[in-house]
Amino acid sequence: MPLVEQKLVYAHGLAAVVMLFVSIAFGIFASIELLLPDLSGGSPWLSWGRLRYDHTQGILFGWLGNAFLAFLYHAVPVLTGRRVTSARLGQWLFGLWNFVIVVPGWLLVLAGFSQPLEWAEFPLIIDAFVVLALLLMAIQFLPPFFARGIEDLYVSSWYIIGGLIFTILAYPMGNFVPELVPGARGAAFSGLWIHDAVGLFVTPLALAIIYFVIPAASRRPIYSHFLSMLGFWLLFFLYPLNGTHHYVFSVIPMSAQIGAITASALLGVDVILVVANLLLSLRGTGWFPRDLPLRFVGTGTVFYLVVSIQGSVQAQMAVNQAVHFSDWVIGHSHLAMLGFATFAAAGGIAHAWQRIPWARYNHRAMVWAYWLLSSGVVIMVINLTIAGMVEARLWQSNAPWLDSVRAARPFWIGRTHSSLLIVAGFIAFLLGLTTGPRGAGLAEGEESVGLETIDEMARRLTYSDAPSPRASRWPGVSS
Amino acid sequence: MNDAVKRLPRALRMAYIVASVCGVGFFAMSVLLLGVWPGQVLEEQTRKMSPEHPLNLTVSESRGREIYSYEGCAYCHTQQVRYLESDMARFGAPTLAWETRFDYPHLWGTRRIGPDLARESGSHPEDWHFVHLFAPRSVVADSVMPSYSAMFEGSPDRPKQTARDLVAYLETLGRSRELAGPEGEAHARANCNCDKDEMGQMAFHTSELNTNPRKTRRNGAVPVLVAGDGKRGLELYARYCASCHGTKGLGDGPGAAGLHPAPANLAEHKYGLERLSFALTNGIDGTAMPAWRDLNFGDLSALVAAVRSFSVVQQELPADPKTLEAGARVYKANCAQCHGETGAGDGIAVNELRVVPANLQGVRPSLNATLHVLHNGIEGTEMAPWASDGTPNGTGRLSEAEVSAMAVYVRGLYQEGR
Repeated sequence: MPLVEQKLVYAHGLAAVVMLFVSIAFGIFASIELLLPDLSGGSPWLSWGRLRYDHTQGILFGWLGNAFLAFLYHAVPVLTGRRVTSARLGQWLFGLWNFVIVVPGWLLVLAGFSQPLEWAEFPLIIDAFVVLALLLMAIQFLPPFFARGIEDLYVSSWYIIGGLIFTILAYPMGNFVPELVPGARGAAFSGLWIHDAVGLFVTPLALAIIYFVIPAASRRPIYSHFLSMLGFWLLFFLYPLNGTHHYVFSVIPMSAQIGAITASALLGVDVILVVANLLLSLRGTGWFPRDLPLRFVGTGTVFYLVVSIQGSVQAQMAVNQAVHFSDWVIGHSHLAMLGFATFAAAGGIAHAWQRIPWARYNHRAMVWAYWLLSSGVVIMVINLTIAGMVEARLWQSNAPWLDSVRAARPFWIGRTHSSLLIVAGFIAFLLGLTTGPRGAGLAEGEESVGLETIDEMARRLTYSDAPSPRASRWPGVSS
Repeated sequence: MNDAVKRLPRALRMAYIVASVCGVGFFAMSVLLLGVWPGQVLEEQTRKMSPEHPLNLTVSESRGREIYSYEGCAYCHTQQVRYLESDMARFGAPTLAWETRFDYPHLWGTRRIGPDLARESGSHPEDWHFVHLFAPRSVVADSVMPSYSAMFEGSPDRPKQTARDLVAYLETLGRSRELAGPEGEAHARANCNCDKDEMGQMAFHTSELNTNPRKTRRNGAVPVLVAGDGKRGLELYARYCASCHGTKGLGDGPGAAGLHPAPANLAEHKYGLERLSFALTNGIDGTAMPAWRDLNFGDLSALVAAVRSFSVVQQELPADPKTLEAGARVYKANCAQCHGETGAGDGIAVNELRVVPANLQGVRPSLNATLHVLHNGIEGTEMAPWASDGTPNGTGRLSEAEVSAMAVYVRGLYQEGR
């Protein structure tokens, strides 16, 4: 019996991509509405604000949430040598995540039930189920780590443990507290979650994927376990202290703002450590490794470096006062979620997919997906960054407000067009997962670096020299 | 000792340590440092600086706030003026903690596609808001705001309760600070402990709380414009003015239908330079005509040329002195209270009126327009119908002869240059 719950990997992987398309549709429609504001004909269900809410919530829960779950079902057994808690629980979690949280959340937002808090737009009733789902995720995935007692774990495991526990605690801070604590005080809490959603949920899980896929697909150990450890501890120390940088020059106490700005700067230094470790681990695989999951996470790593340095810079007062509130920030969030997190998630899904013997896999489509997505992200982010600078300049002059809206229009047209590349990229990605021969992923792995047994991989991903007690091979592969 | 050092990094890789320190410990640290502690400081500030009984939202205003929340208004319109000169110059005084004390949850926002609304109160009249919500581009050309026509029964004149609630809420933004008045500002300033705190002081720097460049003013410094580049003026007119005043200045733009009073028919009026300068710089208080202070002198002068070019009002032949005298008598008895003895729009009742009466020295309406107003009044203002001419509208108390004489008189009040 395989250690990995392959059906759950498959189900969450497919759900992730399907929900991704819906989320993108919300985003594209919203972007077109900025160009043709009367497109929806005044229909409340299609009004810009509601689509905007659904776009980001869909990306966070529908796409990244499902992608992370798919990856966790693959990685946790490999990292621990143990099964996840329960396949039955997994089915419930799948239903809860998709059909109690994401789909009803979308519909409620469109129907006019939501809260105006960033990364927390789903209404309170949905939030309650999210907390439940996060608890179930902890029950599903964490016991295998703790069952290892005082054994030390591989870096991916730390990120998974830290990220899941932190998110359970942080989620209510962003979703419930601002409803109970008013105005500026609530904004302080809200700022924490705005950063934690990306920094302590998405980032740790995306890094867990990258740290996992690089050694697994390249068959080389990570460059330095010491750097892994340093990077991890600094990241978990610094990331939570960033939140207030979303409200620089506000009435929130200046010392909190300066603290957050300092933490943001230091975070950039930490990310340099993390990325250096990852890129050094990638040495010898080439710029564009033949194994597409590896290529995705490698490029995601580069995006991670760029977006983090950008974040450190834009938190500084001199930059923040100009570009805050502008499209620069929209570019930044797309670089984070669509560049870094999505490339990691896509790599994670594809890597797990390759190791499901009955799953189809299409290398050619994956190559297309990689190039279309890469070019789409780069064009969109550069475009929005320039738009932000143009807006900032006009805002600092005494030009009429609408001049900044008019000036943004050509960039918004560019943004909508760049999203077409991204859609095409994801169509190719879906084809990569659903066409091609069954088991082609495993063959692909064999061809590039040779596939290792789950036991071998598990051994390399931990520090123990002894064979894992639950040795088993990738099904369908002979050694 | 060596053992302990060796063991420490190993311990940092253990599930229990990672979970308790990273998952729980660092979380608690961040919440205490960036949530709880700043919260206490802000609560203290609110307690000290807030007026004793700030106005909370009414039921209707609260419903409006709900609508503002679920429509995602906060994702294009921030509600937070930052402590920055560039923000203050556009939107007014920076947001203080106590102003947000009833915001459950806060609506600060992190993106500004449209302007900040923290000081929206008093910036636009209700009819403008209705037209703007119903069809944004009919009053603000090139706006990218969605239409909220579903909040209306087919026209901006027939708002549903949702639209009324939303506009009521918009009218509260910045209200409590304005209501607190100079005493409130002094009280807040005395209690802000910010004598040496440059940022804290900034909150009280601006002489005006709301510096929205569109906000209308009854008084205010006015640069006297000259008639500038007419061609540039017509371009600007098409961009900024045509949505209400119509492409040919006939007061029939797409936004006109829902506005009360209706936008001026620029063809039927001749405006003096001083009058136009005032209207463009300060707007017409009480009406949807906003101020255009943020346009530069050259652009405003170009607009003056464009507006004057629409006028078809002719220089009149000298009127019969008897008619003039009769008109003057009627005017003095009936109109001077509001329009002033000399017609400068400065009668003793001016401060009681919602809309400032026309300055008849600064505008010469055509005879037709004059008679039309005297017969029908101006909807949305205190100007009533004066003629009792036997028509259904003729509820006024003046005879046709008196009205005619007065029309001649008021048209003669115009002074070129005023």
